[in-house]
Amino acid sequence: MIGHLTAVWRFRHFLLALVRLDLRLRYRRSVLGVGWSLLNPIAMTAVFTIVFSNMLGSGAKDYAPMLLTGMAVWGFLKEAATVGSRSLIANEAYIRQSPLPYTLYPLRTVFGQAIHAGISLLVVVALLVMVQQSSRPLMVLPAVLPGLVLAFLTAWAVATIAAFANVYFQDTQHMLEVAAQIGFFLTPIIYTRDVLDRQGLSWVVDLNPVNLFLDLIRAPLLTGNPPELGTYLAAAAVTGVLGLLAAGTTAWLQKRVVFHL
Amino acid sequence: MARIELTDASVTFTVRAQKKVTLKEYLVRGLFRGSVNPAVQVHALSGINLSVRDGDRVGVIGHNGAGKSTLLKLLAGIYPPTGGAREVDGRICSLFDISLGFEPEASGWENITYRAYLQGETPASLKGKIDGIAAFTELGDFLDLPVRHYSSGMLMRLAFSIATAIEPEVLLVDEVLAVGDLSFQHKAQARMKEMMSSAAVMVIVAHDLTTIHDLCTTVVWMEHGQVRMQGEPDEVIAAYVESVNGPPLPRAAAA
Repeated sequence: MIGHLTAVWRFRHFLLALVRLDLRLRYRRSVLGVGWSLLNPIAMTAVFTIVFSNMLGSGAKDYAPMLLTGMAVWGFLKEAATVGSRSLIANEAYIRQSPLPYTLYPLRTVFGQAIHAGISLLVVVALLVMVQQSSRPLMVLPAVLPGLVLAFLTAWAVATIAAFANVYFQDTQHMLEVAAQIGFFLTPIIYTRDVLDRQGLSWVVDLNPVNLFLDLIRAPLLTGNPPELGTYLAAAAVTGVLGLLAAGTTAWLQKRVVFHL
Repeated sequence: MARIELTDASVTFTVRAQKKVTLKEYLVRGLFRGSVNPAVQVHALSGINLSVRDGDRVGVIGHNGAGKSTLLKLLAGIYPPTGGAREVDGRICSLFDISLGFEPEASGWENITYRAYLQGETPASLKGKIDGIAAFTELGDFLDLPVRHYSSGMLMRLAFSIATAIEPEVLLVDEVLAVGDLSFQHKAQARMKEMMSSAAVMVIVAHDLTTIHDLCTTVVWMEHGQVRMQGEPDEVIAAYVESVNGPPLPRAAAA
């Protein structure tokens, strides 16, 4: 596994060059550039804010940042899994040409998505500073950082597993999309956690790993209070387990997957 | 020190009659999957022993489908051996399938950098080479355009120029590449010759027996994924020609 990671490191120039290309293509296709890709969550936030903020009894001032942050975190994990699941198939030409470590390709996807989500989060932080008229969202950033790192590693692990699965069963990608659609409503993103609690679904939220990352990233940004140690540990455990699964999958399939591409 | 060592190496894989199985299908038809979509074992290579040392030039001959290309892919590390062992020391340059793996939306310049990084260059080492690579392509201002606008000949020029820009220790070549128009072909052949003489070891797959005879110090004759014969170029080529043409009556060159 260490050897695998050093191989990934050795090809970092290749990886980063492709990530840069992906981002440029993503933002260049539109006149507004980066703005366009932010417009989607912002428009959704606006609509949801108008519809839901009164219904949930919280003002737009609180609701909009909550939604925007939640969607950035959710969007990152979801895209990493769904887009990442195509990464081995999409990079087949490279795979057929050079013996690179396979996890490099999901990493390409995750890197791009992470930068994209990072931009959204920066917008959120700026918005929060303006709305709250305080620097607390900035002060809490160091406490958010571990959560971001763990989310990145989790996304890499999930993307790797999904990518291998997708080579063998090409409907993995579609099933992930369906699962993500269901998951979106079982995760406190457009509403606060107590809405789900009232439906007797609190156990779902407790088991939902995405919720951990919301607690690690969204909660501190909104409240200004750093997450509890237990939350860090739980997320680290989830990341560790997924990382081991991804490493196991890679070790198991890396010598065969090329014959199935 | 470059070195290739194959010990009883095999490549076996399963292909299915219907290429892809979805998970749904797999679950639903799981019980009688065997009859619906039978798996076929392909023994692409079996029991290959090959030992190549500095200075060796190995030519691989045989019919189509004999496993020559699979052998190159095995040596390049693209296919892992499913049995036996493969050891290759030295910087590898593979000259096959070179027109694969371009980013269509990126410009020629950018694709040069990606491919060079893929071959293990760093931004620092590439700096000194990139102009040479660009000049060799003779594509001029086209290098600023996205690669998807290139003709296949232009793509080949680009691919060839990048692939041959490194100084390999282990050179793996499939066929004589038909690269671009006539003038470029001359240039490409000269570049190939240069690489072939500078590489520590070379393995070349070709159908042109004269080339093999002139270039190689050892010839491997492959048949059905196995080594039928291996040894001095004269002997192996003669035996191969004989098997293709039947008994040694006419001394015509094999196709």
